[in-house]
Amino acid sequence: MTEAEVEDKRITLAEAANLVSDGDGLFWGGFGFQRAPIAFAHELVRQKKRNLTVYTCGSEVDLEIMAGAGVATRYEIAFSAIEALGLSYNIRRRVSEGTLEVEDYTNLAMAMRFLGGALNVPFMPLRSMMGTDMVNLTRYRGENKLKVIDSPFTGEKICVVPSLQPDFSIVHVQRVDQSGNAQIDGIVGEDIEGSRCGKKLIVLAEELIDEEEVRTRPDQTKIPAMYVDHVVVLPYTAHPMMCHNYYDYDLEHLMMFHKLSRTEEGWQEYLDNYILGVEDHHGYLDLVGWPRLMELRAKKPWGY
Amino acid sequence: MARYTKTEFLIACASSHVRDGENVFGGTGMPLLAALLAKETHAPHSNLISEAGFIDARPREVPLSVADTRYYYGSSASLGLIETLGFLLQGGRIDVGFLGAAQIDEYGNLNTSYIGPYESPKVKLPGSGGGNDIASSAKRLIIMMSHDKRKFVKKLDYMTSPGHLEGPGSREKWSMVGNGPEVVITDMCQFDFAPETLRIRLKSVHPGYTVEDVKENVLFDLIVPDDVPTTPEPTQEQIDIMHKLDPNGIYLGKGA
Repeated sequence: MTEAEVEDKRITLAEAANLVSDGDGLFWGGFGFQRAPIAFAHELVRQKKRNLTVYTCGSEVDLEIMAGAGVATRYEIAFSAIEALGLSYNIRRRVSEGTLEVEDYTNLAMAMRFLGGALNVPFMPLRSMMGTDMVNLTRYRGENKLKVIDSPFTGEKICVVPSLQPDFSIVHVQRVDQSGNAQIDGIVGEDIEGSRCGKKLIVLAEELIDEEEVRTRPDQTKIPAMYVDHVVVLPYTAHPMMCHNYYDYDLEHLMMFHKLSRTEEGWQEYLDNYILGVEDHHGYLDLVGWPRLMELRAKKPWGY
Repeated sequence: MARYTKTEFLIACASSHVRDGENVFGGTGMPLLAALLAKETHAPHSNLISEAGFIDARPREVPLSVADTRYYYGSSASLGLIETLGFLLQGGRIDVGFLGAAQIDEYGNLNTSYIGPYESPKVKLPGSGGGNDIASSAKRLIIMMSHDKRKFVKKLDYMTSPGHLEGPGSREKWSMVGNGPEVVITDMCQFDFAPETLRIRLKSVHPGYTVEDVKENVLFDLIVPDDVPTTPEPTQEQIDIMHKLDPNGIYLGKGA
């Protein structure tokens, strides 16, 4: 059997962020504290991207960073807060100032919008949101936020939401090979649908593995290479959030971030120190400090 | 009589509403500990599910996030949102969900989105997350809130999640999968809903509070039955189990 040459899709973080144009829409992967593409958010800030629209269910610190730095001006999301710590102050300030518009959906509604985009159909039905202000009150989407219709088959009321096929899907995973076969450990959140809905898919991964490893355990591949356009291999991409089987969340850093973000001055201090004040992701990791990062490394069998 | 903190009291109270064999959306914080306590005591066959994708979870340390890896080890499956909020919840397979809120009205409708007018909100709150999905489709809803008069309002600033909407028949109109809120637990009392009107009704007052205290701390007309019992206190066994479930006092606090 002849071995075809395998395409190497690896690029740097800076090259990946540079592909994003001002005004683009991004599916944003990860859920809650898990597999947040924080390093990508940092790089979008360093490259001074503007007017991005971000689509996700419930990202936390990354949404705070992109809102705070003025990178994103529109969010279509279900949730904004930092679980266990409290409100997302940057988003709250930007909404009050009118520099950020948030179109509110539910977690299931956003997951269905990604599924619809991945399936290449214009809308998806679901049984949430009906009877509440989530139907009646809209921002820039106006009538195109959602519609409540009578089912053409049963006549019952059903909510339909518009599918999404954003310019890029940004997804952070544990392992990838150079052609893009991506393995996710733990929960997948909405990343199965999300990774398939974007026009281009950028996969960030903690670890590079050989294709042979992928073919030894093909059931571990959550995103086959055929979907993937670019691969960025980078350690601690999710810090201060967590990456299952790789590292725990950095609660001290999270609390420091959350405390600083209470005021605009505090947020600007964080932004200057941890994002703009470093050359790249490696500079950020050096600033956080390797002794701390090593403490956060996951222990078997717990995965954190 | 066991000595207990307010948090321990509320967790034990919430736990009493979980029945054996039920599928429970536990989330984090007090609802999570309530669901775990129920499993360790009167509901050993209950199934704790996190909306992030963990099924039949038995965490050895309490998770801070619904997606926390602390939920993973010992769970029977680790999947995703379409699975939990779609196949399980919308599929009608979730018996109980827990929700909190910044505002509640007399039909148990909830606001977790905005304080102030929608056009120029004073405070942007977390939003729905999976809350509206759970309120729409879980068979029963248990609501937990701190008791502040300004939160028990005649009219919500924004209705994020459906309670009983406008009363009898209104959930049916939207072909909702679930039956809506069953109980509201505050740090002063428990409410349920009068079957004829689906309006909020005093169910029990916690030790140290009176019916008058509750009436003075809601901004709507409260239905008060003739006989309002006192909410049962937690047992020492329940308190001991809670501290085994949260040995580091993440949610229970260190001092107890």
